[in-house]
Amino acid sequence: MPTLIEKPKQVAYGHFLLRIESGTEHSAPGQFINIRTSRQNDPLLRRPFSIFNHERTVMSIVVKSVGRGSEILSQHPPGAIDAIGPLGTGFTLAANRRVLIAGGGVGNAPLFYLIKTLAGLHCDITYLYGVRAKELVYLPEQYKRHSNRFIITTDDGSEGTRGYATDVASELAAGGGYDMIYTCGPLPMMRAMVEAAKSTPVEVSLENYFGCGIGICSGCSIETADGLKRACVSGPVFNGSRINWDSMQDIY
Amino acid sequence: MNLSIKIKDLVLKNPVTVASGTAGYGEELSHFIDLSKLGAIFTKGLTLQPRPGNRGNRIIETPAGVLNSIGLENVGLERFLSEKLPFLKQAGATVIPNVAGHSVEENVELCRTLSSLSEIGAVELNVSCPNVKEGGIIFGTDIGLFTNLVEKARTVTRCALIVKLSPNVTDVGQFAARAEAIGADAVSAVNTFLGMKIDIRRKKPYFGNTVAGLSGPAIRPLAVRIVYQIYEAVSIPVIGLGGIASFDDMLEFIMAGATAISVGTMNMVDPGISIMLIEKFGIYMESEKIGNMHEIIGIAHSPGGLSEECP
Ligand SMILES: Cc1cc2nc3c(=O)[nH]c(=O)nc-3n(C[C@H](O)[C@H](O)[C@H](O)COP(=O)(O)OP(=O)(O)OC[C@H]3O[C@@H](n4cnc5c(N)ncnc54)[C@H](O)[C@@H]3O)c2cc1C
Ligand SMILES: Cc1cc2nc3c(=O)[nH]c(=O)nc-3n(C[C@H](O)[C@H](O)[C@H](O)COP(=O)(O)O)c2cc1C
Ligand code: FES
Repeated sequence: MPTLIEKPKQVAYGHFLLRIESGTEHSAPGQFINIRTSRQNDPLLRRPFSIFNHERTVMSIVVKSVGRGSEILSQHPPGAIDAIGPLGTGFTLAANRRVLIAGGGVGNAPLFYLIKTLAGLHCDITYLYGVRAKELVYLPEQYKRHSNRFIITTDDGSEGTRGYATDVASELAAGGGYDMIYTCGPLPMMRAMVEAAKSTPVEVSLENYFGCGIGICSGCSIETADGLKRACVSGPVFNGSRINWDSMQDIY
Repeated sequence: MNLSIKIKDLVLKNPVTVASGTAGYGEELSHFIDLSKLGAIFTKGLTLQPRPGNRGNRIIETPAGVLNSIGLENVGLERFLSEKLPFLKQAGATVIPNVAGHSVEENVELCRTLSSLSEIGAVELNVSCPNVKEGGIIFGTDIGLFTNLVEKARTVTRCALIVKLSPNVTDVGQFAARAEAIGADAVSAVNTFLGMKIDIRRKKPYFGNTVAGLSGPAIRPLAVRIVYQIYEAVSIPVIGLGGIASFDDMLEFIMAGATAISVGTMNMVDPGISIMLIEKFGIYMESEKIGNMHEIIGIAHSPGGLSEECP
């Protein structure tokens, strides 16, 4: 069974970094792991978390404490942790591209593993890191290191540019010149990004409610132009222009 | 050790099965377990045509349970036969399709087609669907509709017929006894209990369908009670399920009267649980020196029957 190497480390207000000895070196940016937080069956279902980083066999995730399961995880003692994965389908990776990346809040998590990988593939990376306020920014130095341009936006202007990451991203996207856009964050943000992108392909990483996370319950199905897709198997990463965004507002 | 059980002519290697809707068509589960080791796999509720299922929210956790309103998303009979069944057969699984038609005719057609195949030794009739041709009443909650459906299904079903009972009635025993009288070969219980969640932010039901099905450890005591009641009412095998999460839970169902059990919601949490139960069952039979499982099926029943006292 995977092991939590050390006590979860607080990296921003309410956000914790968990480093897990996973026993595998294989995963792809955008994939997630599914963690059981209680052996007493309450909380019952596993909780999905995107892979934030993967070095050799050590996987890390960033957990934002929002409810019972994530709170348990933020205080998980070192030792065995019941995690399965990597699961799901990750981002499309290509070399030597100009890419625009916009993360919102804890949705920045999968994008770190992504830019680290893309930087290794000699992509030119513009990173927009959006959060509500300064105290929610986690590990900015690490993001900066793997980006060619790195911009923080806060809703209240307490750090970086004031406003939404999507406002800045939309302006940049409208200027064109990007081969690919990637985004993960709140639903309205991802939707706005897809609309602003026009003809540039956008990949989004969804975080809708999962039942099993392994494809057996159909609880996570979303409507796409290619029919219903289980977000935990066909996603969580999807081509943004194929998603029926109007149908999504009801499932968050 | 021989752990096998029989439902009419169908032999299950052991009494541990996985429940409909919590095992898909086996493909994903096969990444975690060897399907050929299971007593059987009950596949997702099947309709003649593919169904997209419900829009909007489909699942949410409750205390030790899950509310679901998937709406029977399934691939339809044709793709089931051309893609899903061949995969399951190749994996060496014993397959029991769950038939979930929305009219008598649809259920009859499904039972007829499926039971004519040599690969299929039993079908499970899911009576928790609404009869869309007659006012949308759930077949399994009206004894008249139920009787008519089970009679018609029995006539066309050439293999073993298992009737999966709805727990959302006052006396499940009455429905079980009726199924037996019509000639069903087994009953399974329970399907999900009707539940509901209100989204207090939006001030309306969380599920588009208003109500949803409750499952998982939260319903286990209710399910054990129902299996116990059914055992008093019939002599055909009972397949017990509802919140089984450990080997002790499985034993409770057997002692209450189940000949076989199904794991439902817990597959979603621990996809390897069914294999663990099979292993523990073998060890238990040996260590308790039980030669035949029938020595413990229903052993919790006292000669006096159900208590008529207030709890
Ligand atoms: C593919 C995927 C990747 C994810 N990656 C991350 C990540 O890297 N870091 C991170 O902190 N979170 C991530 N999430 C969200 C995370 O899974 C939820 O925050 C978590 O399951 C909530 O569990 P809880 O017990 O703390 O909350 P609960 O007590 O169950 O609920 C508390 C609140 O959180 C909301 N909530 C519950 N589940 C989700 C969900 N799946 N998504 C959004 N809100 C939810 C509930 O509606 C409720 O308002 C991801 C989700 C998905 C589907
Ligand atoms: C997500 C989900 C989907 C289900 N789909 C079906 C179905 O298609 N047909 C059916 O007869 N029962 C279905 N069920 C009910 C289960 O087979 C089982 O009867 C019920 O969940 C109780 O068992 P459990 O508590 O172990 O889950 C479903 C249950 C869940 C949780
Ligand atoms: S969460 Fe169960 S199929 Fe995706």
